Amino acid sequence: MKTMNPVWRGLALLLAGGISGYFIGLGLDTLVSKQVNFTAPLAGLFSLLGAVTAFFFGLVGYHGVTRGLVFQTIGTLIGGFFVTGIRALMGLETFGNFFFTEPAWVFGALVGTLSFLAGVGALTDWFKWALGESTPEHHEDEPGWKKYFQLSLDHKVIGVQYTVTSIAVLGFGGIFALIFRTELAASQLQFLTTTFQAFDQNGLQFYNTLMSLHGMLMIVSILLGIAGVMNYLIPLLIGAQDMAFPRLNAFSFWIAVPAAVLLLSALFLGGFDTGWTGYPPLSTRSPLGVQMFFLGVFVAGWSSILGALNLIASVVRMRARGMTAFRMPIFAWAAIATSIIALTATQLIGLSFQLVMFQRLLGMGFFDPAKGGNPVLFQHLFWFYSHPAVYVFVLPGLGVISELLPVFVRKPLFGYRWIAMSSLGIALVGFLVWAHHMFTSGMNEYLRVPFMYSTLLVAVPTGVKFFSWVATLWQGKISTPTPMLFVLGGIIVFLMGGLSGPPNATVSTDLHLHDTYFIVGHFHDTMFGGYIFPFFAALYYWFPKATGRRMSEKLGKLHFWLMTPSFLVLTFAMMRVGLLGMRRRIADYDPALGFDLSHLIMTVAAYLIFTSVVIFLYNFFHSMKYGEKAEGNVWESRSPEWQVPSPMPVHNYQHAFQVVGEPYDYGLPGSKYVEFMKSQEGKG
Amino acid sequence: MAHNKQSALQQGLIIFIFLAVLTALEFFIAIAMDAIALLILVALVKAGLVVYYYMHIYRLSSDDEENPESYRYKTGTNRLGLWLFLLSDAFVFGGLAVARFNLLGLTRPHLSQELGLLVTAVLLISSFFMNRAEVSMEHGDRKGFLVSTGITLALGLAFLAGVVGVEWPGAIREGVTPAGSAAGAIFFMMTGMHAFHVLTGVIFLLVILRNGARGLYSAEKHWGVEAATVYWHFVDVVWIFFYPALYLIGAVIVG
Repeated sequence: MKTMNPVWRGLALLLAGGISGYFIGLGLDTLVSKQVNFTAPLAGLFSLLGAVTAFFFGLVGYHGVTRGLVFQTIGTLIGGFFVTGIRALMGLETFGNFFFTEPAWVFGALVGTLSFLAGVGALTDWFKWALGESTPEHHEDEPGWKKYFQLSLDHKVIGVQYTVTSIAVLGFGGIFALIFRTELAASQLQFLTTTFQAFDQNGLQFYNTLMSLHGMLMIVSILLGIAGVMNYLIPLLIGAQDMAFPRLNAFSFWIAVPAAVLLLSALFLGGFDTGWTGYPPLSTRSPLGVQMFFLGVFVAGWSSILGALNLIASVVRMRARGMTAFRMPIFAWAAIATSIIALTATQLIGLSFQLVMFQRLLGMGFFDPAKGGNPVLFQHLFWFYSHPAVYVFVLPGLGVISELLPVFVRKPLFGYRWIAMSSLGIALVGFLVWAHHMFTSGMNEYLRVPFMYSTLLVAVPTGVKFFSWVATLWQGKISTPTPMLFVLGGIIVFLMGGLSGPPNATVSTDLHLHDTYFIVGHFHDTMFGGYIFPFFAALYYWFPKATGRRMSEKLGKLHFWLMTPSFLVLTFAMMRVGLLGMRRRIADYDPALGFDLSHLIMTVAAYLIFTSVVIFLYNFFHSMKYGEKAEGNVWESRSPEWQVPSPMPVHNYQHAFQVVGEPYDYGLPGSKYVEFMKSQEGKG
Repeated sequence: MAHNKQSALQQGLIIFIFLAVLTALEFFIAIAMDAIALLILVALVKAGLVVYYYMHIYRLSSDDEENPESYRYKTGTNRLGLWLFLLSDAFVFGGLAVARFNLLGLTRPHLSQELGLLVTAVLLISSFFMNRAEVSMEHGDRKGFLVSTGITLALGLAFLAGVVGVEWPGAIREGVTPAGSAAGAIFFMMTGMHAFHVLTGVIFLLVILRNGARGLYSAEKHWGVEAATVYWHFVDVVWIFFYPALYLIGAVIVG
């Protein structure tokens, strides 16, 4: 075993762990239910947990993430048995369809989450502080790749951890989408039929679960992805050694891992059929899975909130000398704008989900009209976060576009101040638009018109960004390596998303478009244009900074030219069938509607996008080890992180720099952005 | 601001008297007349006094330290982090308040107003002693710090006992139950969420009490004490709004 490649060892153990987990789960389920069910929820859940834990054990041994997962499993069981014991004493039902009862699962999941954090070591230093012990300012990571699977306080390591976790979650969300997209390829039910059985769900219920989880996993993936990019870049861009609160930073990342486990466990624990929005009253009657979904989102929310807090504090307090507000990199403005929303509004989705959880557990009637509750209240609380959330997703991406454009156009960014202010403008206007999701939900009618206008107002700051980009491109010396292709693709796709937005904001047209595939098409355009394309651009662009090697240009271009046309076809077809009346979130449609061909094209396009992402993944992991060496200023950027060799040294800049000019004065002879100082004095 | 210990303590006392008078005033406004705007105004004034004089929000901007490696500069960063956390937390309580007015409008659950006033007074007095504890530590008076923190801790526990041990069973006897009606649900959710924060504050106080007794804080370096103080006052500010929202505003509904 010693000489075996750790990746192969991990994969071998993954198989072994998955199979043994399956049989343990099956055994427990049989013991409780007295009959053998080969797709028992517990068998599925234990299979997943066993496989993932064993994989990491093979990869890195009993450290870091492995220890966390073992602690989470044991913690969940302890919490579950604790509540089960109390219920036994009170004479209540002790074991149910899913082994534990619902309260026992919820409490167990909470204990499990905290146990994960204790197991991975995210709480250790804080405990020491509470006991009055002091800890070293920085912990040294061991050299090599194993630090990426353990607790590290280095923002660059945490940035990579976030990014890789984001890609893993993206994989799950994407595969779920492919499964239900395949079912939709033709009318009638093909394989997710009513006789299909898995984890206590029939085919239709399973479709709903996959569709709902696709939504939320992608959202969590995006939150992790932007956190990854911001964590890696912000300290480098502002010239800091690390984030303001390194331990909080590690905590914010690691709490997202048990959150992902909770979300995935919803698939096995009966699933849920509410979509990612979780509206009551449906969510108060959904199977147990919806509780795991609520908890997973709640825990992931803390990751987002605390990460945002850290970013704001870092940008406000730790900028290099001379870096005034309007000499910050434009990406820092985007990070601030996105963090303001994430810091505050996220609490409201957490609260709304908590209220439903309490309604389910204790019968509290917040959203139950029979008890004087109000289901529309949930929608207000929910959308107060969940609409601004889309700006959380896209603002960093738009920041990446603004950051990279001048580099590949070799001329100054047009309207720097306007772009900076438009990010804040989108964030602030974003707080005032939530009820445009509720035009058809029975809220007070007089609210419709103000929310329509506030929503249309978002187009103004967004338009400022577009015109600035076009003016930046105008008469530039444009070169198109892979990152620039993704920047341009992002602009075009986001434009499609932007243009399909006002029809949804306008009450009269939205009454027709609400809950159709038009919305689905619009939303995917904004997410791909505002997040996925810029995210890939950022990965191709900063990959050499993190690894000292380049990703293959050939494969990168193949990725781009395969993904972009497929994606545009996919969303145009979505909008087309949506306009013609195709409802969203349903497993089947009437053949007489004539949507079969459109859906077949969409499914083919989805598989092509999947293929392009597989090419990307191969490129990403292969280039880490075998890519062409690139240790210098690959893109001839003015930004400080490219003025030092790649990969970035452990403690960032050996000599502090000060800002002496404008950040984006490309093509102006003799202009300088940063100047490195000789001594360590004045570091900030 | 107050420079020596005596005048700092005096200022804390004056603010406390103001707060006490305003609390009595709002109680009488509530039972004597139907003036919601006035109640909201009084609550805003009370919160403003606490945020400025007890939580000294102005310290966020009065930071002239240049050296980023110094304790003072790092404390300034920590202070910003804490206030950002409180801002975030305020959205939870804000959401609950919105839910309360959305569900109940200008009615309120049937609760004992006298008991509400009593627990409010306990929490208010605890804030006064919390302020004394911080002022003592700022002037290097460890013994004064320990005594005042101990009293704050005891009052915090008394508040918890009052809400969870007396008020909750009392409400249930009156028919205000978590599962009975939306009014009961929102009452238990608001008081429960607030009590949870008081509980975390109590744990925080235990930590600084223990570390203070071991001599880990000094007049120059006591960020832990400042953080616990600001957090404690924040929980008090939340109650300044929740108390009128639950006990004073609106007409009583039964059940």
